[in-house]
Amino acid sequence: MLEQVMNQYNEAVMDTDRDQALLVVRDALALGVTPEEVVFNIVVPAIELMMKAISEEQGVTLAQHFMAAQIASEVVDDMVPRFRKAPESVGTVIIGTSQGDFHGLGKRIVSGCLKAMMVEVTDLGLNVAPERFVDEALAHDAQVIAISSMMVHTAQGENGCRRVRQILKERGLERRIRIAVGGAPYRFDPELYRNVGADAWAENGITAGRVITGLIREVRP
Amino acid sequence: MMTGMQRLTAAINGTLADRIPVFCNLLDQGARELGLPLEEYYRSGELVAEAQLRMRAKYGYDCLWSLFYVGKEAELLGCSRMIYAKDGPPNVGEMIIKKYDDIARLQVPDDIASHPAFAEELKCLRILKAEAGGRYPICAYLTASMTMPSLLMGMEKWLQMLMMGPHDLRDELLAKCSDFFRKQIAAYRAAGADVLVYSNPFGSTDVIPRRFFDELSLPWMERDLGPGGTAGVVYYCGSARFNKVIDAVIRRLGIGVYYLSPMDDIAEGKRLVAGRGLTCGVINDIMLLHWSATEIRAEVKRMIAAGKPGGKFLFGTLVMPYNIPEENIRTMLEAAYEFGRFETP
Ligand code: B12
Repeated sequence: MLEQVMNQYNEAVMDTDRDQALLVVRDALALGVTPEEVVFNIVVPAIELMMKAISEEQGVTLAQHFMAAQIASEVVDDMVPRFRKAPESVGTVIIGTSQGDFHGLGKRIVSGCLKAMMVEVTDLGLNVAPERFVDEALAHDAQVIAISSMMVHTAQGENGCRRVRQILKERGLERRIRIAVGGAPYRFDPELYRNVGADAWAENGITAGRVITGLIREVRP
Repeated sequence: MMTGMQRLTAAINGTLADRIPVFCNLLDQGARELGLPLEEYYRSGELVAEAQLRMRAKYGYDCLWSLFYVGKEAELLGCSRMIYAKDGPPNVGEMIIKKYDDIARLQVPDDIASHPAFAEELKCLRILKAEAGGRYPICAYLTASMTMPSLLMGMEKWLQMLMMGPHDLRDELLAKCSDFFRKQIAAYRAAGADVLVYSNPFGSTDVIPRRFFDELSLPWMERDLGPGGTAGVVYYCGSARFNKVIDAVIRRLGIGVYYLSPMDDIAEGKRLVAGRGLTCGVINDIMLLHWSATEIRAEVKRMIAAGKPGGKFLFGTLVMPYNIPEENIRTMLEAAYEFGRFETP
């Protein structure tokens, strides 16, 4: 039964039909599916299915990424308080846009996917100074700093990822904290993430979930 | 030697020319050309026109731009704050739609041409026209109704409204943006712009699903372009891919020029346009920041080989990042002139 519900939910998400997706979840709960099952057997597998569609180049659009993240985070926000015991967090991520960059959509999509994967996300918002990324990562005991940039000059500028890397180095934090980057310029230049000193990048919000949880695992025993 | 306008006309009509037209979109580089900070440079239409003319003469490409930066359109609708960087384009620094009520308050100016925020662009256009009109196509950039809200409320809130409603407000905003577009395109035409780049990332199936494209994008584009027609209009999705919709756009809108994404397959794009218009192959200019001369030449060669056979092809760039070394700009252009040459019979 769960698989059938998952398929219905996934279809609604791919169709960008939020109301339908939420209805599928509500009906499932009424039939006795637990909140835990909703998250781990419906929402998370649906994200994984989407990753598969992307890697098979079925052409998942920005609007679909946006809606998938939106719906997933709404459902998770609704389900987690109803869990029998608080879920174990996969890890903690600090996210924001680089200094001088006021484009928040990418960050929002990535955060939504991460939350659905039980990653705790602290969103520092737009135009974040490099020092602040590091300070907040320490304050929250985060494993990953995630930086989103939409333009070339904010991606590779001196107050973006490069500076964050330098600060991590200066403070001896490189073993504890990884850096992930993303946003339009990285898609146009897949090697750019190396140039700016990041550990990884992802092409879209859904794959960002996988890449970032991978980085968390690297530093979290 | 032919002029840029002759090359462009030949490419559109499929007649003979010395080479394919080559468009190189240098905007922020104008400030460097004049040795000025970007903020000072963009305050003056005279300076922008001067730099555009100088850069065209220096590099020899075929177009001139009246565009300063895209955020200017938001200024026409009341935005009063731009954020400047020292080595990149200015960005809208204030969202004029912060809450739903602001949509009802949004005012489309009656007369764009007399609007203070248009004054410098108008000056720029006049100078370009006087100095190079008829010889080099003067390009203007216009944001489609469906994309304009992203400059007014941010891409995040706009996408949310587009996908989740409320639909009545969405349509009210779109109607205002479309009215604005109609006035703007008329103002640019009246001021002498030859090429009207119609920018609409929401006309790409990278951004929205096909169903949305058919049900929303196409009708709103029809509304935008209805009164003024499609003469000189270029279909461009902000560098997002659009090969999948070329046929629908030609049938429904009749646009004659297609400025592909660097990620679109050029040969396929040309096949889809199928002689009904001009196909523009566009280089991934972000790579010019660090490609070697050999890599640049190889890429230009590959692109032109895919698009040139049979003519009706143009080589172009996106919005060239400020820090591309001058040497790389020259290497790209020289390769485009060389590989784009037509053998004289
Ligand atoms: C839509 C769009 C516009 C719209 C809306 C802009 C806006 N206000 O948001 C319009 C047409 C108005 C526009 C204008 C401009 N644009 Co524009 N635009 C685009 C376009 C088509 C999509 C950008 C977008 O919003 N994508 C949606 C977001 C969610 O996608 P994303 O950022 O890539 O995020 C995804 C992934 O990258 C990843 N991700 C994102 N962040 C992170 C973070 C981490 C840690 C990870 C792991 C992953 C990750 O997941 C996300 C979700 O799937 C791109 C080209 C393209 N095909 O991408 C150009 C593009 C971003 N624009 C560009 C430019 C230059 C501009 C202008 C500055 C032009 C100018 N000279 O004025 C203006 C600025 C306007 C302003 N703000 O004042 C350039 C930037 C490159 C450069 N040269 O610096 C691009 C790349 C186009 C190009 N190739 O030339 N633009």
